[in-house]
Amino acid sequence: MSRRALRALLLLAGASVLLAVWAFPILWGLLTSLKTERDVLAYPPKLIFEPTLANYREVLFGSASILPNLWSSLVVTGITTILTMLLAVPAAYALARLDLPGKRSGGFYVLATQMLPPVGLIIPYFLVLQRVGWLDTYQGMIAIYLTFSLPFAIWLMVSYLEDVPREMEEAALLDRAGRIRTLLYVILPQVRGGIAVTTIFVFLNAWNEFLFAVVLGGNRVRTVNVAMFNFISVEQTLWARLAAAAMIAMAPVIILGLLAQRHIVKGLTVGAVKGGGRR
Amino acid sequence: MARSSDRPTRERRERRFALVLFLPAFLVLAIGTTVPLFYLLWASLWRIDLSMPWLSGFAGLENYAKMAADPRFWNSLGLTVIYTGSTVVFQVVIGLGLALLVLRIPRGQAALRIAAILPIVLAPVVVGMFWRTLVLPPDYGLLDLVTQALGLGSHNWLGDPQLALVSVITIHTWQWTPFSFLVILASLAALPPDVFEAARIDRANAWRRFIHITLPMIRPAIAIIVIMRMMVALSAFAAIFAATGGGPGTATEILNLYAYRTSFTDLNLGYGAALAVVLLAITLLVSFLMFRLRRAA
Repeated sequence: MSRRALRALLLLAGASVLLAVWAFPILWGLLTSLKTERDVLAYPPKLIFEPTLANYREVLFGSASILPNLWSSLVVTGITTILTMLLAVPAAYALARLDLPGKRSGGFYVLATQMLPPVGLIIPYFLVLQRVGWLDTYQGMIAIYLTFSLPFAIWLMVSYLEDVPREMEEAALLDRAGRIRTLLYVILPQVRGGIAVTTIFVFLNAWNEFLFAVVLGGNRVRTVNVAMFNFISVEQTLWARLAAAAMIAMAPVIILGLLAQRHIVKGLTVGAVKGGGRR
Repeated sequence: MARSSDRPTRERRERRFALVLFLPAFLVLAIGTTVPLFYLLWASLWRIDLSMPWLSGFAGLENYAKMAADPRFWNSLGLTVIYTGSTVVFQVVIGLGLALLVLRIPRGQAALRIAAILPIVLAPVVVGMFWRTLVLPPDYGLLDLVTQALGLGSHNWLGDPQLALVSVITIHTWQWTPFSFLVILASLAALPPDVFEAARIDRANAWRRFIHITLPMIRPAIAIIVIMRMMVALSAFAAIFAATGGGPGTATEILNLYAYRTSFTDLNLGYGAALAVVLLAITLLVSFLMFRLRRAA
């Protein structure tokens, strides 16, 4: 009995360490964002201090406000997400369900485009956007963001659409409902959850993107990640302020991540668990 | 008679419908990824130096010849191998260990799952900045507080070349181990419990149960994790860029960082394109080999 209790205790201790390792840096960042710059540099570090919201006020409404950058991020990410879903859902339906000519190679092609490292593509993107004058514009940024969002969204949607029972669309087609009506009113309601999860994933990926944003953006379109990065290279010592900016930039993805927590685990594993059985 | 002539048109109509649904996405991908690839190949044959534009011109294979004799390129290639190999191995081994551990905890799994989600949803560039400004700086960084409290002294985690490489590998492992942990946990939880019961009745010890029963059953999941994580590690950029920028010197300059610095810091886009072509070739080769291996297994 005591051996068992000891084991339980060890397990619990192990789990707590784990929890700390993953959650602590973020909690530490939260604490830092509430400190004054002087408290940040205090040694030993102050765990008890007078919390202040001055850093948040400064990064939101001060001279180097990140509000315009948050807006840029929102526009780029939002429009990218909508366009991606509009293109990905029909394509995934064709791949998952319809007699698409060249289906196998089409699916493989989509998968292959997902594997391309962004650093490999950034040079042609830069040269082309420069030539057509789309550097530092929303349309240029969104066009590029589409290319890395699409393959992933298509594949995730395929995995959800394959789970819809075939009888449902056959029944609808026998009822002489047209193909478009079948897709819109029979199939799509069945994969509402999958659409929501895919939308969240696309949004997260686009919101977190950095390489394309830093190379193809500029003074007009500067996403919040790029703005924060400029923060550390220019004002290296204002760490509390940087932490506050990071907290604000992280808030949307953390909220989305926690809201969709169960689905995210499922979304991550959908390929892995199912793919294992598929030949 | 009417029926048999009806069927082909129906099939043809379905095909046309499928094409209409698929083509827009296909065109975006073709124009957005495949055409740029050929452009990249073409660009790698030119001298494109924005800092010395008067030197621009067709160069043939000059960029590739230069690369073969470039020690900085070989250094970056070696670092890419070390970085990719070690982060993937760490993610799988640690993730597997944690999943086995957590599976035995009767309560609190939900809290762990939430904690595991946090690093995954964060932007790599933010993670890199976090570690650089809060965890790794000497004296007041989180890690230094721990090592000093343990009597191990203060270290310049990002300033010392060897420690910097260890640091960027640690950052990547920290952020992405939760991914393999969650995937393995899910596939472990999906295993039929009676298999374990039978083995337990047979008095097979824990280690043998793991090697002969558990591991073979979750091998497909592990194979997928290895493939996915290798691809991600091969395209890693933002976290290293934010934490060290490839430095000190070239200590953490994997091929991605070198191609970026060449193209957008030194503005030598022609040579940068040649480096990017090598990166793409490596990625394609690795993914090809991985899929072959997976099919063979």
